[in-house]
Amino acid sequence: MCRHTQTSPTLRSGLAADLASRRSAETRRLVLSQRRLPGPLPPGLARWFPALEVLDVSGTGLAALGSELLSLPRLHTLLAKNNRLGGPGSLPKGLAEAPLLGRSLRVLNLSGNRFAELPAALLGLRGLQSLSLGSNRLHSIPPEIQELRSLEFLYLGGNFITSIPPELASLPSLSYLVLCDNKIQSVPPQLAQLHSLRSLSLHNNLLTYLPREILNLVHLEELSLRGNPLVVRFVRDLTYNPPSLQELAGRTIKSRNVSYTPGDLPGNLLRYLHLASNCPNPKCGGVYFDSCVRQIKFVDFCGKYRLPLMHYLCSPECSSPCSSASQSSTSQSESDSEDEAIVAAHRMQKVLLG
Amino acid sequence: MEQPVQTQMWKAQTLEELVQILHHLFAGDKVNVAEVQALMDSYDSNPLEWMQYAKFDQYRYTRNLVDQGNGKFNLMILCWGEGHGSSIHDHTDSHCFMKVLQGNLKETLFEWPNKKGIGEMMKKSERVLRENQCAYINDSIGLHRVENTSHTECAVSLHLYSPPFETCSTFDQRTGHKQKVRMTFYSQFGERTPCATAVLQENN
Repeated sequence: MCRHTQTSPTLRSGLAADLASRRSAETRRLVLSQRRLPGPLPPGLARWFPALEVLDVSGTGLAALGSELLSLPRLHTLLAKNNRLGGPGSLPKGLAEAPLLGRSLRVLNLSGNRFAELPAALLGLRGLQSLSLGSNRLHSIPPEIQELRSLEFLYLGGNFITSIPPELASLPSLSYLVLCDNKIQSVPPQLAQLHSLRSLSLHNNLLTYLPREILNLVHLEELSLRGNPLVVRFVRDLTYNPPSLQELAGRTIKSRNVSYTPGDLPGNLLRYLHLASNCPNPKCGGVYFDSCVRQIKFVDFCGKYRLPLMHYLCSPECSSPCSSASQSSTSQSESDSEDEAIVAAHRMQKVLLG
Repeated sequence: MEQPVQTQMWKAQTLEELVQILHHLFAGDKVNVAEVQALMDSYDSNPLEWMQYAKFDQYRYTRNLVDQGNGKFNLMILCWGEGHGSSIHDHTDSHCFMKVLQGNLKETLFEWPNKKGIGEMMKKSERVLRENQCAYINDSIGLHRVENTSHTECAVSLHLYSPPFETCSTFDQRTGHKQKVRMTFYSQFGERTPCATAVLQENN
């Protein structure tokens, strides 16, 4: 019962014939998963299922998704996990530019494939809300990820990712971020700008500390950190390189508000002065440029666990007690004076002995 | 003289039958753990029978109440999305049976932290439970963490707790520090039952 509509191998025309025979202007979901497909999806797909909204080709052994998808005008969910995608040409060229599919696609699941990098073909999908690339072979996240403006759900667990680009924090609607089972050594402080983040999965990575800005994620409800070599002891970085003369001059200008005009200084020094960072110690009010002290402090996270957070201070003296009156602290602020650091260590011991 | 305990081998053909037999087994005061475990083992998972209870949440695993066992036990279905896991927890002096209905779940057993409670908790063992396998735990055996380690597949499990309990303690793996938590149901008898989310769940 083979209808030979094209000169392709018997099996492939068998698939095309099978799908053609099921053609329908009403079919919204097509599930072809869990059976080995003999070849790529036939080009007639969009003609036979013009109303298709959900296509599931998971576990079919597909090595490429081609242009047959581009003319599906209503496809919002494409599930293609556990296949052999990942080589060049795995995804159709012009995917993001496709006038209909490029805008309609909301959910894309490519978990369990062989992608070694986040496919560039995806980056223009401005309507994409959910992207899964779990269990692939990614070593990094491209900064262009920020182009996926509508992304709410990003699953990248089970790859070989070593760092998180700060551009990830530009995704305004991101609420679920999964980075577990990777090789991440640090979290950029910019991640705290993800105001919509509700759930952050970082377990089984190589983190030793977190940036103090993580306390700003006020909507965070789920946080997984297990399986990281997080430091448990109060740690202070003892290798402090004293500031250069240029740095000292820069600090003085800034902290004493010495006025200057662009004509007063060469361009490189003007730019240098612009790069001053404020010391986070509220009692200090100083600035630093290149020379700072890294210090890990422990902060009560929502009254539960003590998390090691990295602080950058302008000098070792910054953690010593100040003579100024103590300020009231919010529930999320951390202590920066030596006094309070000692108290924190005490409390830490109490927790451990608990 | 005490009557010898007879362990009957039950076979539950359907989920409904499983519930009925459970009611019978828990009618008295004594729980025959081997009998209950054999019964749970015997049920061949059929998604058509439990899919009405299997409500997934994008952010974390869900607890969906199936039956209240006349106050003697709680039977519930837990739905685990990719990468979802529990904290290390105890079972508040109750029996806990856990059967995988779909996918795989990794169970890691931990020793109770010692009274001084300093430092990393000790892992006893770990195993992966496959579809239809059933595990048992109680506080005298230890503590455990359950997780769906798959990045591509969901998992569903059937849990029986007797007596029922609403609070338990969760433990920080790094320090052994424990905290009491109240457990909630995502749905009951197939109906979604939302409630206010509690404090941040740090999964440690």
